[in-house]
Amino acid sequence: MVDVKQDTGKAPDPFEPFREMRDAYLDAMSKTMVEAVNSESYAKASGAMLDWSLTATGPFREAMDKSMLQAMQQLSLPSRQEIAALAERFTNLELRVDDLDAKLDRVLDLLAQMRPTPPAEQTDSRERPAGEAK
Amino acid sequence: MPKATSLVEEYAAFQERMRAFSRIVTTKAPIAQSPKTQVWALNKARLFRYTPHHESMHPHRIPLLLVFAIMNRPYILDLRPGHSFVEFMVGKGYDVYLLDWGSPGIEDKNMKFDDYALEYLPRAIRKMKQISESNEFSMLGWCIGAIITTIYAALRPDDGLRNLLLLTAPLDFSNRSGLTFAKWTDEKYFDLEKVLTAYGNMPGEMIDYGAKSLKPVENWVGNYCKLWDNLDNPRAVEAWQAMNTWVTDNIPMAGAAYRQLITEFYRNNLLIQNQLHIRNELVNLSHIRASLLTVIAEGDHITPPCQSEAILHKVSSTDKQVYRIPGGHIGIMAGSSAHRITWPHIEAWLGARSN
Repeated sequence: MVDVKQDTGKAPDPFEPFREMRDAYLDAMSKTMVEAVNSESYAKASGAMLDWSLTATGPFREAMDKSMLQAMQQLSLPSRQEIAALAERFTNLELRVDDLDAKLDRVLDLLAQMRPTPPAEQTDSRERPAGEAK
Repeated sequence: MPKATSLVEEYAAFQERMRAFSRIVTTKAPIAQSPKTQVWALNKARLFRYTPHHESMHPHRIPLLLVFAIMNRPYILDLRPGHSFVEFMVGKGYDVYLLDWGSPGIEDKNMKFDDYALEYLPRAIRKMKQISESNEFSMLGWCIGAIITTIYAALRPDDGLRNLLLLTAPLDFSNRSGLTFAKWTDEKYFDLEKVLTAYGNMPGEMIDYGAKSLKPVENWVGNYCKLWDNLDNPRAVEAWQAMNTWVTDNIPMAGAAYRQLITEFYRNNLLIQNQLHIRNELVNLSHIRASLLTVIAEGDHITPPCQSEAILHKVSSTDKQVYRIPGGHIGIMAGSSAHRITWPHIEAWLGARSN
């Protein structure tokens, strides 16, 4: 083993002899598991598990939310819902600012179009034959 | 019989290997390194413009907007230097923009696909068109990002969209027996309202758990065996760690958007049947006229190929192609062969349509 390490520069891996066996096992397991998770019974079981965990934790979560809300009120601090509502209002403000930005860009574009043509270009157009100008 | 000293040495080397393994698994790799500038922001959304390699180096006139899913970080498109789709496209002379939806907070639980497709995306596009001084643009939507870009393309066909690229696009949910997610979220088993009442948004960890459960052995065992086997290969370790950094960076999905995804897409398949309404507007896919490239991953277990095929028969585009690649949902764009197979094909298709 020491010689191998010197030849390849690799650190010895005690699992090396078992690698093929491991890969074959994982391949077989993978196929079995993919079939299992794709079954109706898995969908039913995972749905039931999720439902059970939400039902079990629901009362605690509600109690925690209520007590937290009361604590925040006692401390004269805004609740999570109030912060969320404030954030929503900020987003609405951002939307308005973005609308204004778009309008301002349009105004600037129009102003750029109304700008008088530079003298050099005016000279060019005067020198151009009438037919070509159209 | 091995000598006692060699056994001690081997044990020390094994311990070192374990330490390296543990360090790689628990640390983040430097990712999303391509230089970029933020050019627009709204709520959590950000629009980035990638800096060209040389100033004024944009041989392709039409800018490219990248739109990724709303429940994953978009930097999978710019994973690491030397292996980044963004870097590749910038190097080919495209004016590349990336829309990062950000991570929704509880205040965003009412955000729907309506908001993403008709409030955020059009504003980001307006800014991109203004900066690039181009009335036309190309758009690449990947995964749920492909749903949003498809809705936009159908509802705003006259906004200058010239090229639409859809990567592993989950648009058709009719083959329910082939969709594991459809089984799990069937109304018989999955109480959607109970989950959203409890959490507001769909937690990123639950989405990640669902995605990994599709191939549990590969994701929870095989993935780590692969790292263990390649610990002596710095390039393989770098690639593994970058991907692991992205995979473990989960973000929640806005509650209302998740409700829509389950009820209107997975359960009722409204989009592909031209029955989906977004802000009271009917999404009629036949209104899409842009050149269309649909990229399908043959081995995709998250968006099976059957979900991405029907769109070709629904659009009015005369220039449309489907490109099938062996590989998985993420692997086709971020895997080790992406730079040899997927990216050049996308670039060749887009290059011919970007001037």
